[in-house]
Amino acid sequence: MDSTHSTKESTQIPIPMTESKSAKTAPPPVVVAATKKAAQRPLVTRWKRGLGIFDFILRICAIAAALAAATAMGTTNQQLPFFTQFFQFKADYNDLPAFTFFVIANATAGAYLVLSLPFSIVCIVRPHIVGARLMLIVFDTIAVPLITAAASAAASIVYLAHNGNSNANWAAICQQFDDFCQRVSGAVVASFITAVIFMVLVVVSAVALRRN
Amino acid sequence: MKVGAVKLGVAPPAANRGIAILDFFLRLIAITGTLAGAIAMATTNQTLPFFSRFVRFRAKFNDLPSLAFFVVASSIVSAYLILSLALSVLHIVKANAVNSRVLLLLLDTAAMGLLMAGSSAAAAIVQLAHEGINKVNWFAICQQYNSFCKRVSGSLIGSYAGVLVLILLILLSGVALSRR
Repeated sequence: MDSTHSTKESTQIPIPMTESKSAKTAPPPVVVAATKKAAQRPLVTRWKRGLGIFDFILRICAIAAALAAATAMGTTNQQLPFFTQFFQFKADYNDLPAFTFFVIANATAGAYLVLSLPFSIVCIVRPHIVGARLMLIVFDTIAVPLITAAASAAASIVYLAHNGNSNANWAAICQQFDDFCQRVSGAVVASFITAVIFMVLVVVSAVALRRN
Repeated sequence: MKVGAVKLGVAPPAANRGIAILDFFLRLIAITGTLAGAIAMATTNQTLPFFSRFVRFRAKFNDLPSLAFFVVASSIVSAYLILSLALSVLHIVKANAVNSRVLLLLLDTAAMGLLMAGSSAAAAIVQLAHEGINKVNWFAICQQYNSFCKRVSGSLIGSYAGVLVLILLILLSGVALSRR
């Protein structure tokens, strides 16, 4: 319904004609007041502005979640008081490459979100802008798989750390490094929340792009 | 000077139809990559000729839960992509559709998230299997299960290609929505 309606909208601009010999046979200038479009435009503006505000608020939440995830993972450092033959008595996020990637990816996402805040404000101030929204949707679409990759790689390793795998002879290390495991699991949850927020941001930008 | 009136506000649908055709072909490529990855992972089955006391002598995707999740996620996403071909054809036929494009973009984003989650969970495990972590006594199993590891790595390449194509599809839908 919306699509066919907007294709029928049109604005007619009257162009004044010069006096000529056949002036009396020429038709009178046409002035079409595009009242329909003028009445609809404030409504569309308000609705797009609302979407822009929602986008801005979501971005703030995503910054909090991404930076919380990166910090929680990056400040892990558990040292066990005892010493055993087989396990190292210190657990750090550096020891597992998936966790290193996790910290880097979440920090990158947090930095990108902070840098994208001005563009989000521009989309609130000027709701009909296309270029800024298109840029936001492009970068958000790139950020979704980045954060999802980091979160699920870390989740996979955390699952392995909690449960172990008897087929590959990988022992569950969470039974010893309890605090480390809890912190890391919390970071993974925060990162998944960031990923969901990014997906919602993509859809919000797409909905706000339409009906241009 | 002639009298006239300039009509504004009607965008040509020809460009959107071109975008829709490109979308259809990209979807076909994504189906190929994702399906190939799922099948390659699901048919892993390597049995070692020797017998060892401590390590199991057979490797299947079932043995590692992340790989099982990858198979399930890839299968769901390839089924979704096959079904979404219908929506893609609708966009070729009716180039002015707006609501269905937004719906397709929403579903594509969800599918990309799911596929990326499965692929990178499997990638983390594959990286662990290739290198191991000596600090926590997790040894690299790829040194024994060579063919299993190669097959699993190959299937991951297919599904990452699928993710890349899905990203392109989302961007195409966004561009098509903004051109009206």
